[in-house]
Amino acid sequence: MARYVVQLRQDVERWVSSGLIDRSTAEKLVLDAERRDRKSFGPGAVLAMMAALLFGAGILIFIAANWEAFPRLARVAALFALIFGGYVGGAFARLRGHVAIGEALWIVAAAAFGASLALIGQMYHMSGDESAAILTWCAATALAALVLRSGPLTVAATGIADVWLAAALTGGLIASFRVDSPALFLPVAAVLFGISCWTRSQATRHLILLSLIAYATWHAVDGDTFEIAFMMAGVSACLFAVAHIMPAEVDNLVRINRRLPIHALIGFLVAMMLIQIDVEGDGGFPVAAAVTLAGIVAALVLQGRESRGLRWIAYLAFAIELCLIYAITMGTMMGTAGFFVFAAVLVGFLALLIIRLERRLGSDAPQAEGGKA
Amino acid sequence: MSKGRKLVLSALLLALVQTGFLGWMIVGRAAVLRDGREVLLKVEPVDPRDLLRGDYVILNYEISRIPLTIISDIGEVGDRLDTAGKITVRLGRDEDGYWRARSAWIRNPPAGATGTDEIEIAGQIPPLNLAYIGEDVRVTYGIERFYLPEGEGRAIERDMRVRAFGVRVAVPASGNAQVKALMDGDQVLFQEPLY
Repeated sequence: MARYVVQLRQDVERWVSSGLIDRSTAEKLVLDAERRDRKSFGPGAVLAMMAALLFGAGILIFIAANWEAFPRLARVAALFALIFGGYVGGAFARLRGHVAIGEALWIVAAAAFGASLALIGQMYHMSGDESAAILTWCAATALAALVLRSGPLTVAATGIADVWLAAALTGGLIASFRVDSPALFLPVAAVLFGISCWTRSQATRHLILLSLIAYATWHAVDGDTFEIAFMMAGVSACLFAVAHIMPAEVDNLVRINRRLPIHALIGFLVAMMLIQIDVEGDGGFPVAAAVTLAGIVAALVLQGRESRGLRWIAYLAFAIELCLIYAITMGTMMGTAGFFVFAAVLVGFLALLIIRLERRLGSDAPQAEGGKA
Repeated sequence: MSKGRKLVLSALLLALVQTGFLGWMIVGRAAVLRDGREVLLKVEPVDPRDLLRGDYVILNYEISRIPLTIISDIGEVGDRLDTAGKITVRLGRDEDGYWRARSAWIRNPPAGATGTDEIEIAGQIPPLNLAYIGEDVRVTYGIERFYLPEGEGRAIERDMRVRAFGVRVAVPASGNAQVKALMDGDQVLFQEPLY
């Protein structure tokens, strides 16, 4: 966003000097952009949130230390006081206009709830309930997000759900993690997605989409890699297509500022990477590699102009793909060389086509502009 | 009501609901300790490995392994035993004071058959159980941990490898047991207060 303001200042300067807009309009435009920019990112707000997270982690580890100098009931009382103080104090801070401090206090209260659960587990030597405990913490945080309409709390609830997912998928980052099925993550994610619409938390929806990709990836690695990764690539490609054809309609649904193509590309690339590793050594690899490259090129051509993030992911993926093909080689080195040259010719041809197309569009534009002037 | 007051009231209500829920958990657990029937279980020495995980010691009981032969309805359950599920274990008191498994049911046990020195405890068969490879099945009861103050676990962990420890648990009517005290022979090492 800050880059956008810098860019806008340069553009506005150019428009003023070419007589497109007058000086006072120019100042108004830049001022408006700067004001919006300040709202989207303030170092103070970020540091307040970091402080809250650090404090929350401190509470959790303090409880884990089981320090006996403090009687247990005093520890319970202190945590309850933090829950009350955090939620109510946060509400007061918000009312006085200190939004960032309010949100930070709410995060502390949510951490205190998690610490209370841990303390009760410790007081009564409970074991084998981590899954239920983490889900309870997630539900309590989600409830707080819902009631207080808080974006950061929604992100926190999603983060807790992600911790649960990671533990469930790996079958025990935590010993004796007992879960019915990691598929429970799907309804949890759906509920959090719904809450994020109410709390207007775009970050939550990004996080959920990335979590879903991670979930599918783990299933592919754990089970029938080719079949699941194939489906994953197909679904990702379809989502990309739909998001490209109907950007407004799709964004009405997912509301992530038209960034669904980025997630779709990540999903597609991860799936294709799994497929390539799976078919490595047999005849399928050149096909998979060609599909991957085609996907990267298609994403760049269709959406590259829309999003810088997508461009960088595509560049990175292209570099990795190049190294992968080079390292694995297709049967023989001669075969690989042939593949590279063939791909180069195809992509080069495409480049020529696009450059000609752009030139034609470019030569149309100044004419229209000149006509108006 | 103004928007500001509504937010503060919502926050207050939220804090009440959350602390109320936590309080309800504590009261429920304390009730088990107070009202549950007391049972002494033998802790088995475990092979030298890291028992101390962070802030608690892992407890492995005699009744953590249930021989397939004492599971009464093993014939009806068949292949489904190796999936995660519930098990009810009936314990009986022996001469030495320790309680040991007498019989077990995967499905519901027959009602009202427990004697004076018998009690039923609820267990879980964890997933990926190699039930048919060995002759017994692993069972967990939710009492496999003993939390200790930071730094006090090592000595207990060392002693636990050389001699038998005991754990006094409280078993409520529901069968979901809870740890009450850690015993070194007859000596009580840690006794849990209600709260």
